[in-house]
Amino acid sequence: MSDNAAVEARGLVKHYTSREGTVEAVRGVDLSVRAGEVFGFLGPNGAGKSTTVRMLTTLLSTTAGEAHVAGVDVVRDPDEARRKIGVALQEAGLDPRQTGRELLVLQGRLFGMTPAESGQRAQELIELVELTDAADRRIKGYSGGMKRRLDLASALVHQPEVLFLDEPTTGLDPASRLTVWDEMRRINARGTTVFLTTQYLEEADQLCDRLAIIDGGRIVREGTPGELKRELRERTGSDTEPTLDDVFLDATGRTRERAAGEVQEVVG
Amino acid sequence: MNATLPLVGRAIREIVRTPDALFPTLFIPIFFLVVNTGQAAKIFPSDDTGFLAGQGYGAFQLPTTLLLAASFGMAALFLVEEIEEGYFDKLRATPIPRAAIVLGRLGAEGVKCVGIAVLIVLIALPFGIEIASGVPGFVLLIALTAGWGVVYGGFLQIVALKTRSAAATNSAGMIFFPLLFLTPNLVPRELLTEPMEVAATLNPVTYLMEALRSLILHDLDWGDVLPGFGVVAGLGVVMLVLNVRVVNRYD
Repeated sequence: MSDNAAVEARGLVKHYTSREGTVEAVRGVDLSVRAGEVFGFLGPNGAGKSTTVRMLTTLLSTTAGEAHVAGVDVVRDPDEARRKIGVALQEAGLDPRQTGRELLVLQGRLFGMTPAESGQRAQELIELVELTDAADRRIKGYSGGMKRRLDLASALVHQPEVLFLDEPTTGLDPASRLTVWDEMRRINARGTTVFLTTQYLEEADQLCDRLAIIDGGRIVREGTPGELKRELRERTGSDTEPTLDDVFLDATGRTRERAAGEVQEVVG
Repeated sequence: MNATLPLVGRAIREIVRTPDALFPTLFIPIFFLVVNTGQAAKIFPSDDTGFLAGQGYGAFQLPTTLLLAASFGMAALFLVEEIEEGYFDKLRATPIPRAAIVLGRLGAEGVKCVGIAVLIVLIALPFGIEIASGVPGFVLLIALTAGWGVVYGGFLQIVALKTRSAAATNSAGMIFFPLLFLTPNLVPRELLTEPMEVAATLNPVTYLMEALRSLILHDLDWGDVLPGFGVVAGLGVVMLVLNVRVVNRYD
């Protein structure tokens, strides 16, 4: 395993076994995320993005392979790995009956802070994510954007080395999405490595230093957005600069027509 | 313990902030107390019914009320909600012992049961029900009721963790009714028919009910009380071990 990798996975596999048979959700993922970068993890629905993130964040057992986060083996030493990572999953994982401040203070206590330290850290984060007015209100009354920002704040309580964000802007309006982007940039500027899964290619293009595309449980492309576009242009001999959408469609073997059909099916 | 106490505090806030969920916990057991006592009090007058030890039939029924109240486990339903909303994963992503995650809610369930049991006894006192074993007996009565609440909450929590379904957890809660009615809940064990007596003898809730009843009707007698505590301690250890095992294997 590389010394300066914030996240490193080798041959990561996850199979789900049920009466209906075995589903190979992740089929040998190799990943290397450098410390300090924003790494985008893209893929169509059901490609294995969330499963991979859940294995890297100790929330899901692995079938095979190994993974290190911030130099810690997530399978052998999950508690030490948990100390080094922050996690904001697909659904903002919040307790609606608590206030924002109570949630952050509790999170601090669970990471070993004293009540005083935890209270101080909660106040810092409330100011950071601009929830001062709502901090003492119950979370059930928060808007989607406020919940996302609070979820981000709770993932940052213990100043993690690596922050995992699983589709953090899904379902948000454009203004809230931009606010979350700003938060992400601010967090990364402070030195935190960000591992971002998203379905929004524009988001990946705007935010990520490097990215990987997963499809069918395997990594099918990896590189900077510029490298991936250049590679596609050279390979296809296209006159125009490809977009990240083109890279994604090429990598996942989908066509625009098929992708549009999939969207129509969901909408219908 | 460092992680358990804040989680207990959080779960207590959750209970306090959901008063509507407390209503059936209090109302249904008291309803049964009033109805059962109203129906059977004339059959068992206190003057010439030996097993009442000079008290009214309401005192004999009070243990059933307390056990029923302690068996309305809210913790498991809140847990299912937490799993569905993703906060459970947030807790699992923290570096705390897995036991703390399950103990947080169970601790709050115990505190809730203490409050409910004290309230029920206070409501019962003006109706002539006395705790014959005095203040120490009252403390033991509350502790035993709360202990059962934790045990039963632990059972429901296992169902919640395994099924992740509110419907399945609610259905599992119904198991308490056969457990409660296969006990000497209306008359002492020696007055039951033989099949019922066998069933009651095999049912651990019987020893809990008899311990509670002894504390209400008689002077403190450890011989009657200890089996009840034994049941709570034994089942408590089993539930804790199973809870930790299930949460450790939770994917």
